Amino acid sequence: MSSQEEPSTPSPTPIRAEIPDALLEAGGLKPGASRAVSSQTGIPEADIFGVGSFFHLLAEPHIKVRICQGLSCQMAGSDKLLQQAKATGLPAAGCSCLAACDRPVAALRDRTILPDLTGTDLERAGGDWKSLQSEALGTSENWKGVVGPADTPTEQLVIDLSSDTDFSGHALSRAQELGPDGVIEAIETSGLQGRGGAGFPAGFKWKAVRSEARTPRYLVLNADEGEPGTFKDREVLLRRPDRVVEGLLVAARTVGAQAIYCYLRGEFGGPWRALETAFDRFEQAGLCDGISWHLHAGHGAYICGEETALLEALEGKRGMPRLKPPFPTQVGLWGQPTLIHNVETIACVPEIVLRGGEWFDNLGRTGPGTKLYCVSGDVEQPGTYELPLGISLDDLLQVAGGMRGTLKAFSPGGASSGFLPASERHRPLDFQSLKEVDTMLGSAGVVVLNKQADLAQAVRAQLEFFAQESCGQCAPCRIGTRFQARNLETLLASTRAGTTREQIQEVAWEMNEGSICGLGQIASLPLTSALRWFPEIFEP
Amino acid sequence: MIESPSILLDGNPVPYRPGETLLEVATRAGQDIPTLCHDPRLEPMGSCRTCLVEIEGWPRLAPSCATLAEPDMQVTTANPRIQRHRRLLFSLYLADHPTEHEACEDGAPCELHHLAHRHNADPNWPHMEPLRADRPGDRNPYVEFRADRCILCARCTRYCDEVEGVNAITLTGRGSETTISTSDQISLMDSSCELCGGCIAVCPTGAMAEKMPLVAGAPPERELQKVRTTCNYCGVGCQLDLNVDPSADEGRGRIVKVTSPPPGTITGDGNLCVKGRFAYDFVHHPDRLTTPLVRQPDGSLAEATWEEAIARAAAGLMGVRERHGSDALGFVSSSRCTGEENYLIQKLARAVFGTNNVHSCAAT
Ligand SMILES: Cc1cc2nc3c(=O)[nH]c(=O)nc-3n(C[C@H](O)[C@H](O)[C@H](O)COP(=O)(O)O)c2cc1C
Ligand code: SF4
Ligand code: SF4
Ligand code: SF4
Ligand code: FES
Ligand code: FES
Repeated sequence: MSSQEEPSTPSPTPIRAEIPDALLEAGGLKPGASRAVSSQTGIPEADIFGVGSFFHLLAEPHIKVRICQGLSCQMAGSDKLLQQAKATGLPAAGCSCLAACDRPVAALRDRTILPDLTGTDLERAGGDWKSLQSEALGTSENWKGVVGPADTPTEQLVIDLSSDTDFSGHALSRAQELGPDGVIEAIETSGLQGRGGAGFPAGFKWKAVRSEARTPRYLVLNADEGEPGTFKDREVLLRRPDRVVEGLLVAARTVGAQAIYCYLRGEFGGPWRALETAFDRFEQAGLCDGISWHLHAGHGAYICGEETALLEALEGKRGMPRLKPPFPTQVGLWGQPTLIHNVETIACVPEIVLRGGEWFDNLGRTGPGTKLYCVSGDVEQPGTYELPLGISLDDLLQVAGGMRGTLKAFSPGGASSGFLPASERHRPLDFQSLKEVDTMLGSAGVVVLNKQADLAQAVRAQLEFFAQESCGQCAPCRIGTRFQARNLETLLASTRAGTTREQIQEVAWEMNEGSICGLGQIASLPLTSALRWFPEIFEP
Repeated sequence: MIESPSILLDGNPVPYRPGETLLEVATRAGQDIPTLCHDPRLEPMGSCRTCLVEIEGWPRLAPSCATLAEPDMQVTTANPRIQRHRRLLFSLYLADHPTEHEACEDGAPCELHHLAHRHNADPNWPHMEPLRADRPGDRNPYVEFRADRCILCARCTRYCDEVEGVNAITLTGRGSETTISTSDQISLMDSSCELCGGCIAVCPTGAMAEKMPLVAGAPPERELQKVRTTCNYCGVGCQLDLNVDPSADEGRGRIVKVTSPPPGTITGDGNLCVKGRFAYDFVHHPDRLTTPLVRQPDGSLAEATWEEAIARAAAGLMGVRERHGSDALGFVSSSRCTGEENYLIQKLARAVFGTNNVHSCAAT
């Protein structure tokens, strides 16, 4: 680091950043834990308690087993498994989507995800949480999901989940030849849009961070994957951590970031190990010189996937989203210019640098590039499929072995995208086309429901999810999410239906206008989209 | 001369000083923007969403309390979109708050109810039982937290952090279970709390409330008479308002609580300490001296006028000086004295009695 690049602002307060981990070490938020951490760190006791109480995995140390109550897992009977778990005396509770929707029912034993959990597994544990195993998994904790399609030539794949890892650093060499301006030009030409949900042009953010005069600048990897129905980042980290790390190194060198912070959801033990190993490999090859890298674990809060909540959590605070503007590119981690990307976005970078922006742009059908589509629910082969951006639901179902049963409804992009009817099965699953029907591609976590599925229950699951995961700082979302969940019950009981319908629309409008972040802004969509496309489920 | 920058506020150019928020500029220009989480002493949080305004070219409504004015910004503070937003936002707030305006105001006035009414909120939306936890059994004598009224504006926690520097309370939990708590829900007595009562003063809803008047069943604040006075506990001389129940004690009136005048209106900026805010019960104590007393030859004390008492003290002091010289006298002023009073006492010592033996107990 040259002397010119010394921090121009007071150095960060890393001691605060360690609060969540210190609480984890103390065994969670047990009585006295905040006081103990306070005397270690000098940070006021109440602040520590406030942070710990925000994160479910810290706040409820007595809960050792969590059974996913996300939509895909509920469709596989997770609510009954939860009842059974409690009945057998396991210290169990429900939880939000564990990013394992392709292997339902997913459960958490302490911090380990157990896919394919069955009632037999619960019986076998006999009330002892430590011995809970998923038979399908065996004793191994390394598991992956199905990926595809199998027959796509490598030249048409950007992430290429089923090929071997490659630590040669070719993309880094190529990036060095191109220089920062050349790399940014390639990213801009590629048209790469953020894969974390918002679809914002990546090149724009790279340019913005690079043009900030202040240093240090930071690069942050968003691996907090938590949007119900989404598990692609897990697969990328498990299968191609080389692509992720090389993409990070290219991005860091291009925008002039000296430190990379990776925020992984706390349940991602396997992906953590894979990412750490990949960093080590690049480090050993001398390719990380001048760049420090840090891995941080989340502690159970979906909202920390929102980029500014993530920054707060990295700083060791309650994960409450910040007001925007200012955007992280200007005022990010510890107030410094920060580039934040989703795992999949970053994993696209090496191939774009190697093969060129135009190559990437041309891969897509209705938008640039390929896209990792996750599909779960009533489908034969749930999994992660790398396909041209803009394929339709039918195309996706075809590579995923087809529907189980007859299609009734689907979510195109996680809980945040609400529901669409079967008649939209031909619509391109891209950022623009889905906007036209007031929904979004989001994280491309597609959940399909057949005619047997209980749609009202599906709406309920999604509304409960948002009410559970609202950070609670702003009233439209904190009160609105709960209010809508309640309105759903009123509608289904068909009392006061007229005023309730009106209220639902009013509250949805207000949540969109008044909420601070994306969670509250879209949290009514499961309900309003159901009212629009499936009015019959609310008929008496 | 450099021309000061201005914004276009509801169509009219209004100059501003760089660094001012839209709320500050608009308030100075006479606009009435509702706020709940704002307090001029605190860093803006922007979370209550009541003060949202429209800015030309911005896709989303912006919190005026947290948005800095920029040259030629076109800002709208009232239009159908903003009015609809306010009406619906306040309707949502009411659904999560005690519905009865009067009953809700058993202590301090409820800013939420006032604003909700002013902005045409619908009070008849289905009510939801709040999920926020109280802190039952907190044995501290002064501060009562009533979670059902809390709107989570975080004024109390930010005040405790940013103004008091105490960090005794925090936002706790998340979602609709978010509440205000100490670490481990312990009593304020066992926390770092200094019982300054500032959290009560900043609370817009009466969720953070004075315990003593509630326990005593004092009338609500709106029925009390406010008497502005100066705290006599120390030389800082904070202004405060005695809140008098005029009908108490057979119509003689009784102080039932102390409130702080709004920030920005007085020295002290509305901040008080535990003594100024809570230690007022001496006023009505039967042992309290209410007239000067003068010692009689038989050793008893007899009521006297101020003139008599001062004359007696002066005669005593003069007598000591005559018999033993000036330096046999020493003057110690109380830490309750103001700077002016301390000046006067050294004047008395040096100029009148001719001694440099003068001290203030606040000097230790
Ligand atoms: C409620 C909410 C949750 C989010 N969760 C995630 C997430 O889990 N992973 C992610 O990458 N982005 C998530 N995002 C999007 C991020 O805020 C941000 O847009 C993204 O990390 C930027 O990276 P990208 O440009 O590569 O997509 C979320 C956004 C919101 C509003
Ligand atoms: S919209 Fe919801 S999640 Fe987002 S800041 Fe507001 S309360 Fe928190
Ligand atoms: S009384 Fe003062 S110190 Fe105690 S919690 Fe309230 S603001 Fe903080
Ligand atoms: S107690 Fe009062 S000041 Fe504190 S958050 Fe609740 S409403 Fe706001
Ligand atoms: S893991 Fe259960 S729904 Fe995603
Ligand atoms: S006063 Fe501005 S958001 Fe609360």
